[in-house]
Amino acid sequence: MAYSELIKSFSRIRDYMRQFYVYGFKSREEYDAKSARSYDNERRRIESWLGEYMSFHQSRDGKHVFLSVDSRRIPSDPLYKAFHAKSFTDKDVTLHFYILDALAEGESLTAGQITDRLEAYLSHFETPFPMDESTVRKKLKEYEALGLLQSEKQGKSLYYRRSTDAVKLESWADALAFFSEAAPLGVIGSYFKERSDHFRFKHHYILHALDSEILLKLLDAISQHRVVELLIRSSRGKDDRVRTICPLKIYCSTQTGRQYILGYSYIGRHPVFYRLDTIKTVTLGSEEKQYDKYMGFWEKFDQNLWGVSTGAEHNIDHIEMTIRFGPGEGFILQRLNREKRHGTVEIIDEHTCRFSADVYDASEMLPWLRTFIGRIEKLECSNRNVAKVFYDDLKRMYEMYGGDDDAVS
Amino acid sequence: MLFHEVYGSYFRVLEDILCHAAEGTLTGRVLTALVQEKAFAESGLSIPGALNSGNWPLVDANCGTPLRHAPTKPLTTLQRRWMKALLLDPRIALFAPSAEGLEDVEPLFTPDTFVYFDRYADGDPYDDETYIACFRLILQALREKRKLRVRFRGHTGVRHSIVCIPLRIEYSPKDDKFRLLTAGGAKRHVINLGRVRSCELLDVYAPEEAGTAKPRTREVTFLLRDERNALERVLLHFSHLEKETVRLNEHTYQVALRYDKEDETELLIRILSFGPVLQVTAPDSFIGLIRERLQRQRRSEGCL
Repeated sequence: MAYSELIKSFSRIRDYMRQFYVYGFKSREEYDAKSARSYDNERRRIESWLGEYMSFHQSRDGKHVFLSVDSRRIPSDPLYKAFHAKSFTDKDVTLHFYILDALAEGESLTAGQITDRLEAYLSHFETPFPMDESTVRKKLKEYEALGLLQSEKQGKSLYYRRSTDAVKLESWADALAFFSEAAPLGVIGSYFKERSDHFRFKHHYILHALDSEILLKLLDAISQHRVVELLIRSSRGKDDRVRTICPLKIYCSTQTGRQYILGYSYIGRHPVFYRLDTIKTVTLGSEEKQYDKYMGFWEKFDQNLWGVSTGAEHNIDHIEMTIRFGPGEGFILQRLNREKRHGTVEIIDEHTCRFSADVYDASEMLPWLRTFIGRIEKLECSNRNVAKVFYDDLKRMYEMYGGDDDAVS
Repeated sequence: MLFHEVYGSYFRVLEDILCHAAEGTLTGRVLTALVQEKAFAESGLSIPGALNSGNWPLVDANCGTPLRHAPTKPLTTLQRRWMKALLLDPRIALFAPSAEGLEDVEPLFTPDTFVYFDRYADGDPYDDETYIACFRLILQALREKRKLRVRFRGHTGVRHSIVCIPLRIEYSPKDDKFRLLTAGGAKRHVINLGRVRSCELLDVYAPEEAGTAKPRTREVTFLLRDERNALERVLLHFSHLEKETVRLNEHTYQVALRYDKEDETELLIRILSFGPVLQVTAPDSFIGLIRERLQRQRRSEGCL
């Protein structure tokens, strides 16, 4: 089949875009492509959509292609472009413009009447373009499902008309520009032309766009209280797994670039998290009658959740960190209060405070605790391994940055 | 359905081409310009080719079309449901778009479905009337390209009043805060909207008054040791910055990140948060910042 910059399915390109954007150090031979040509085609497509953000470096292993962009400098997520590249047939595009034109004046027509109108449009051209009524009927149903058309039965005939639009889009330009980047499923905002250019976004994980199809299905299941079957890619590259859960919440990290589905696991009989970028497919199942009961589990569960880990045993760890701050460094207290997700901050004296919390898995807090390096007087945890890892890591950092002048020792 | 051709780049460009054709203003040059401006890099061959060959019988040899109207398309159900969901977001108060036409629409999601578990707790007050009024005035200034007088408190509490040219409004989902980016000559200011007390619209400015000042950018290079899944964690964490990663050997990578000078302290603690799996190798000034933190840490431990 001849190469096209358009694609039929999103799943394969999803993985390539992620690899180019997040990693960007792999050579052509390292991609899990069916063939070298498959890699070349996907790379060429991405270059066609996102050429201005693509770079490469050459090494002994070959050419390494990567996508690099500071999301603070751009008004909208460039990865949305992949969603604007769905392939279609000659009939799809021809029917699209003529059907909507035939119904543009608000009249209702049957599939047969619309086919007659289409024949009249197409007679304008010398080259014949055959169009049968069954193809038209199929397209009308598809457009009704999309919400572009509405149907109404009159006698034995089904009449179609364009959906009426009373939405005042001119009042939405700024909101669409903002929420296209800042709201879930922002890619839908990219489908509007009416967007202003007044916003920029810091700490903006544009990669979430690639998981939009998965997120949409999960939201559909959550709103209908339906069970889902997930096909999950193993993070270590082993076999894919199938898991059945009752989906409850979407957990979004604003700091790690990850999004998760939280659901009730029927096998483990406890809440579980799965990363959205590891989910390959979502299949909706039956309605869950005990949905409210599982939501109750979540409410209790969330009270001691630091991030998305419950640890191996679901035990609660108690952690305490004593922090020292100097005169005029009240911002440290502000930092603690705005960044802590659970627990308390207790003032010990004018230069010292103590943060304490009870969480499922205190090891998940280590990255945050390290941001206070330079001020930590003491770290204690009921899970001794957490404090050990912290101090062992510090020792390694002292050695690492000690240098010739032994600056850190 | 999220992935559908009706939302695609080709249909959008064709809509513009057919608008010109319906109005009698389409020429070969206009067609080429529209495709170059609005479609993908390789669409320049495929779209005109399909139109000229008759595979897409929409435009004739004289650049005319049998369409009787300039093409338009109603919103899809997905678009309407997404807009309805936005009306439930507390930040919508800043924009106040018309809800007309969305009365009987089911929202695609509700805000309580999402948990932003590591978002900072001191986000901007989206229900505060003064905040909303200032935000809207700033948006108006951006639309009308007018100067603004902004009165605000600095981070130390000192009151300021400046006349500025608003450039953009910046939002951080991590901080849940908006900032006003301003220009004027060689100076750039960043003002937290949460600290703004009042705004006043001033005159329209000339484009050259906005100046050409750009943010000061820096680069930091570090070695990444792939322990504890660090490769994936680090690269994803810093993925929103411009970066280049090179593999040095099976477990070691070199990463170069570009960042704004004003964010240096933030970047410093983000690098520290990964502990010993990252080792900054350049520039020396950044290594010095890390050493200083570690020296202070040693002294803090000595306080026991």
